[in-house]
Amino acid sequence: MQGISLENVSVGFGGVKALSGATLGVEAGEQLAVIGASGAGKSTLFRALNRSVALGGGRVAVGGHDLYALPRRRLNELRRRIGTIYQAYNLVPQLPAGVNVSLGEVGGMGGLGTLRTFLAGPGAGLSKKVGAALEEVGLGGKAGVRTADLSGGQQQRVAVARLLVQRPDFILADEPFAAVDPVTTERVLQTLLHLNREGATLLVNLHDVEIARRFPRIVALREGSVAFDGPPERLTEDALAEIYAGDSSATADEEAFDLSELRRGLERSMRLTEGRDGVSSH
Amino acid sequence: MASPRTERPGIGGAIPRFSWKGSLAVLVVLGLTGYSVTGTNFNIVELIRGTGAAERFVSEMFPPDLSAATLRATGTGILETFQMSFLGALLGAVVAFPLSALGTQQISTVGASRGERLRRAVPYHLSRTLLNVFRSVPDILWALVFVVALGLGPFPGTLALAVHSAGVLGKLYSETLEAVPSRPVEALAATGASGFQTFLFGRLPQAMSGFTSLTLYQWECNIRSATILGFVGAGGIGQQILISMNLFDYPKVATLVGATIIVVLIVDRFSAAIRQRLAY
Ligand SMILES: Nc1ncnc2c1ncn2[C@@H]1O[C@H](COP(=O)(O)OP(=O)(O)OP(=O)(O)O)[C@@H](O)[C@H]1O
Ligand SMILES: [Mg+2]
Repeated sequence: MQGISLENVSVGFGGVKALSGATLGVEAGEQLAVIGASGAGKSTLFRALNRSVALGGGRVAVGGHDLYALPRRRLNELRRRIGTIYQAYNLVPQLPAGVNVSLGEVGGMGGLGTLRTFLAGPGAGLSKKVGAALEEVGLGGKAGVRTADLSGGQQQRVAVARLLVQRPDFILADEPFAAVDPVTTERVLQTLLHLNREGATLLVNLHDVEIARRFPRIVALREGSVAFDGPPERLTEDALAEIYAGDSSATADEEAFDLSELRRGLERSMRLTEGRDGVSSH
Repeated sequence: MASPRTERPGIGGAIPRFSWKGSLAVLVVLGLTGYSVTGTNFNIVELIRGTGAAERFVSEMFPPDLSAATLRATGTGILETFQMSFLGALLGAVVAFPLSALGTQQISTVGASRGERLRRAVPYHLSRTLLNVFRSVPDILWALVFVVALGLGPFPGTLALAVHSAGVLGKLYSETLEAVPSRPVEALAATGASGFQTFLFGRLPQAMSGFTSLTLYQWECNIRSATILGFVGAGGIGQQILISMNLFDYPKVATLVGATIIVVLIVDRFSAAIRQRLAY
């Protein structure tokens, strides 16, 4: 099995360059933490790895396939092997948690299987796999609960369970620890590492540098390109300062008066409501 | 974020200040008003002069005819109207659903080839056009068409309501489907789900409560329309109202119209209550 490679990848949204000339190679089975300031392009990088954004330039290869050159059918086959956990979960809120979990394997179903799953309705027809996955993330009794009625952290765990059902060869986890407590963080991390030990290539976006340091390889993005790539030992305080320089939360001090203080507080609280933890402390 | 001391003009002030665009708009509205008043012979004096005849008409309606025969006829007419409107909405929904599914723009065309885009565009435009034809012809015209083709009675009326409802619902359904939050749908597509699968598990569940509410509302509209369709011979209580009018049986007209108003109010209330519950 082959890994992932990005060659000089650029992605733009209107005038904004989210990725510009990002180059990165990841071996199959590797585990990798991606860090970077807010807006550095981490989520966009992941979206380029399952062809959810249009490419401005460059080349993306996953598992030896040129991702953006594949015809629809082949693309879907490859996408089945790529599992993603999103920053905003992106579950279907009206469906029961169990159905959302079983959607992890919907890509592999034929037309008839799809209809059967659809008509079986909530609760019924959930495979053993789904039950086991929910059990594993500690949501054994929640299969029938409407996903919108779950807490943020619980929804995140539903997304992890969906990943377990999908059993992908490549895992893209976009801030999977943003809304979960420390115990759950550890649990989700162990689950992801377990999948990695079984052969899956693991890429995790992190705001928490301490957790990132537990990965054998760290890649830092800054303004859309790779600014650091190496083992955690090489990630010095200076390197970190460089990576997070220009992050708006770190440069509020040029502002006049106590207004800057107010602004910093505002930004901090905004960041909290978005369910991410701040990087200004690092 | 703006720097602290920046003034922000343009924020605040609910009453718009003078602007050329605004003045032009006012002029256009005034012009159109005058044009339409002359075109329609709109005349307040004539309206007031006509009140005498209207008064006579209304006073002749009272007391309403509450004889057993009239009540029975009213009941039959009301029931027929009810049945027509219900079946019309149901058939309309059944036809609208697949057409709206085809008439929904796919979001994920990232990296789609030109042939692929074209293949998606054909069913989209076909179903949109069909729905537009269904919708833009008013139900009373559809009723005329079906009465000519099938003869008098509630059946052509029901078909007329069904076709018009299909047009209205189809458009509203596909708009609902398109307005659904796209991230869950994209997430499904990113796991390799097909277009059909993302529709079934991503779009549809998110649009479902909207569908139900729209269908109920269309049923309300159909009840009101169904009372009129009788005027062109397409069944329902309207047919009885027309006959009684032609016979100058105003007390019976009063009973029929009164009953219609009551039923319309009841259905409105009922459906509004259900729609309220659906909108959480
Ligand atoms: N759909 C979009 N439309 C327009 N601009 C976008 C879109 N998605 C991302 N961007 C822009 O691209 C840049 C990179 O965004 P991205 O989401 O990749 O950042 P990130 O590193 O994941 O940040 P965070 O840590 O806050 O999640 C940002 O400037 C953002 O505003
Ligand atoms: Mg992000």
